[in-house]
Amino acid sequence: MDFSKTAERISQKVTSHGHTVEMTAIEAKLRRLVEEFGVPPVEAERTVTNELARELSLPGLQTGGPVETKTIDSLVPGEWVAVECKVVALAAAPSPTIAQTGILADSTGAVRFVVWSRANAPVLKQGSWYRFESAVVDQYRGSVNLKIHSGTKVTEVAGGGALRPTLVPIASLSPGIASVRGKVVQEWEPTSGRILQSGLIADETGSVRFVIWKEGGRERLNPGTVYTIFYASVDDFSGRPSLTLNTATVVPEEGDIAVSIGDATFEGAFVHLAPGSGLIKRCPVEGCNRVLSRQNYCPVHEIQPNFQYDLRIKGWLDNGKETREVLVPRAVTEDLVGMSLEQAKEIAENTPLGMDEIFLRFRDALLGRYFSCRGREIDGRLLVSGCTTLRFQPERLAELLNRAGASP
Amino acid sequence: MTNGSLAPAPQRREGGFEREPARRVFAGELRESRIHFKEGQDEKSPSFVLLPTGERCNRVFFVGTLTEKKKQGEQNLFYRARVVDPTGTFFVMAGSYQPDAMQQIARLEPPAFVAVVGKPNVYQAPDGAVLISVRCESITPVDKDTRDQWVLDCARATLDRLETSPGTPDGERARREYAVDPAVFRKMVYEALAQLQL
Repeated sequence: MDFSKTAERISQKVTSHGHTVEMTAIEAKLRRLVEEFGVPPVEAERTVTNELARELSLPGLQTGGPVETKTIDSLVPGEWVAVECKVVALAAAPSPTIAQTGILADSTGAVRFVVWSRANAPVLKQGSWYRFESAVVDQYRGSVNLKIHSGTKVTEVAGGGALRPTLVPIASLSPGIASVRGKVVQEWEPTSGRILQSGLIADETGSVRFVIWKEGGRERLNPGTVYTIFYASVDDFSGRPSLTLNTATVVPEEGDIAVSIGDATFEGAFVHLAPGSGLIKRCPVEGCNRVLSRQNYCPVHEIQPNFQYDLRIKGWLDNGKETREVLVPRAVTEDLVGMSLEQAKEIAENTPLGMDEIFLRFRDALLGRYFSCRGREIDGRLLVSGCTTLRFQPERLAELLNRAGASP
Repeated sequence: MTNGSLAPAPQRREGGFEREPARRVFAGELRESRIHFKEGQDEKSPSFVLLPTGERCNRVFFVGTLTEKKKQGEQNLFYRARVVDPTGTFFVMAGSYQPDAMQQIARLEPPAFVAVVGKPNVYQAPDGAVLISVRCESITPVDKDTRDQWVLDCARATLDRLETSPGTPDGERARREYAVDPAVFRKMVYEALAQLQL
């Protein structure tokens, strides 16, 4: 095989930068790569050129052809790409191996990025545009991200102007980065000391949980206010999307929007009463309300002898095609099983089985019966606000007799 | 056959647990089931009985009359019970792995209307006869109104299966494996409903 043409091409590139180089040395390197190591000629040319570029510190020499610049919405995990985009958010690096992390955006979308400490990359400034060459597209927890490593060439470029992120309907969120407009419809008690605020944001299409982790400069959102949220991270939280707002730009809006918080109805037979139903004890600490164990132990506030009693139903309704978890609060529970909280306490205190007796009575009152439950659906679970016991309907019998009697 | 009907069974959520719905089946149909299969290699993946009307079923829900219960075994105590619906008899079992159901049966006195939730299993007796029994998760006394509601519910579900299963993978499989005329089940449904009018 003749390597002189390739060697000449390489040497011309080098001499054009004012350096001289042995043609025979280049040729020998190419031959070694191709003949001894089975490297394809194109790749060999690239390897040798890059080696020379490094030796002679000529960054402009790198080949591989002009790398096609990709748009963010077209990134596929596993690819090496060149992208031009704007740093729209920076976040605290979670580990010393990471120099910087945040969100990059172009006009087509946004993506999380990680700059490794070992990459020796320039420090990225929020709001600036950069061109990244040979960055790696990776996947982390179901969403695409971009890794800036030691082989990535980072150059600041002139801005591509202001970006207008596309707002996504909440019902169609998937892991990655997204911008939404929604109203804070619920605020939840933090389940961890690291959480600044968590709750539910809803728009016309649906609702999604959100979380803001404690971090300097982060503020709580006002319940009832509409916000436009740019570049929030969408994570998968037990199979459901969840918005993390720490990287996001959150802008309060005037006015109000109609929201759907998942009003739903489910009819079916009660097929399972789950543990934790019946008479339960709750933690009395202000804002906690967690269910205590038998030993009055709260996972956060430890032993709480001055607990408060509550009644509830946790179970499954089933219509033969699908099955739905239902959570019924005290007021509805009392009507449904015909037992008040006071009666339940009295029974529990005066029977040998105590609180278990209430569970057993609930089971006998509920299992196998048909109910229609209304409420809000959150994470596949129906929080019931109203429930009726269904009765036999003779007109349905007539209807079904006709249907069965008709010839197929 | 349309493209849609070839779609695979709904994907399970990765890592998540999804409760299998409880199918409504008359005893007369469940009795005819023979095919028992497991989806997936995992030890925990659910097993199914293929109903002759063409739907897989991991769990059943039925309401009928408990006519008989029998305690068996000494060290491994378990209960056998018979629950009758308008089309035939369900054979119900509750063993030491279903302690709640066992205690529930123990407190029941036949005859009584009961609602049963459980998992069907196919057994081959030494003489070659095939038996379907339902391993009971719960068995609860209910009233006649609930039984009547169930007959309607089950009639509707059975007619739905007869009408929607042709063309689906499970429907086609049932048609191959069970040489049963669908009209038989339509007639069974009609007769079950007709008994309610009495």
